[in-house]
Amino acid sequence: MLYLKSLMKVIDNSGAIQAECIKVLRKSPFNYASVGDEIVCVIKKAKPISSQITGASASNRVKKGDVVHAVVVRTKQPVKRPDGTVIRFDDNACVLVNKNKEPLGTRISSVVSRELLDKNHSKIISMAPKAI
Amino acid sequence: MMFVRNDAKEFRFCRSKCHKAFKQRRNPRKLRWTKAFRKAAGKELAVDSTLTFSARRNVPVRYNRDLVKTTLMAMARVEEIRRKRERAFYKNRMKGNKEKQFELDKKLVESNPELLRMREVEIAKQLAKAEAKAARMEQDGDEEDEEMSDDEEMDIESESESEAEQKKEKILLKNKRRAKRVL
Repeated sequence: MLYLKSLMKVIDNSGAIQAECIKVLRKSPFNYASVGDEIVCVIKKAKPISSQITGASASNRVKKGDVVHAVVVRTKQPVKRPDGTVIRFDDNACVLVNKNKEPLGTRISSVVSRELLDKNHSKIISMAPKAI
Repeated sequence: MMFVRNDAKEFRFCRSKCHKAFKQRRNPRKLRWTKAFRKAAGKELAVDSTLTFSARRNVPVRYNRDLVKTTLMAMARVEEIRRKRERAFYKNRMKGNKEKQFELDKKLVESNPELLRMREVEIAKQLAKAEAKAARMEQDGDEEDEEMSDDEEMDIESESESEAEQKKEKILLKNKRRAKRVL
């Protein structure tokens, strides 16, 4: 359940630490983003940029105050599955993506939900250490 | 309900009671109603070869009709053996309880010898009660007779009234029937 102004963790290596939702994409007004939904967010906290990092990861690096698209990968709110089970995570987390829905980072640090597979985010699933 | 911690550890809860206890950081080994407690406290069969058969294995196996057949047969057999062993375990756990209870009862009687004469005490109490009741009846006897006569008169009056009411009702019913016929 992520609305306007809700904060969440960023769990990829794009350099961002915390993001704030400013728009839930392709949803009716007043609706919330759940696992697999795309949002627009502002980077609230980011790791300092160091000159050691080069290549593609350096060009995809984000700073504080950047406006980027992201995909929600975990929610604290329980999510129902078609088989009747309910799944809940420890926190709200997202992964930053570009306009073509390809992730900005090259690595994901913790678990993601399996709902992403149904919403065509298989790239994120394959990068994650574990999909539940 | 399944809860997934950030280190990818999965917690599956059978009911909301368990989920709530988990959220209150209760230790399942210290709650007496959980399976974890019963196994940890030696109240249920915990270490047994029959329990290891039904464990989850993340090993893909190619489909084979014979294998499925034998597995299904083995499942029934393993379950049967498990039940037998559980029964034996329970019996073994409860062994000696009767003797212990008997010893305790014996000790109780020895320390309280008046328990053995309980029947005599009860009979004596009942007798005393009956005597007291009889004595009271004799005292109240005269007053009760006067009350009885009053009651009888009242009954007669009320009966006559009720008869009159019944007659009225009958007449009303007849009228209704007539009305229906006319309609």
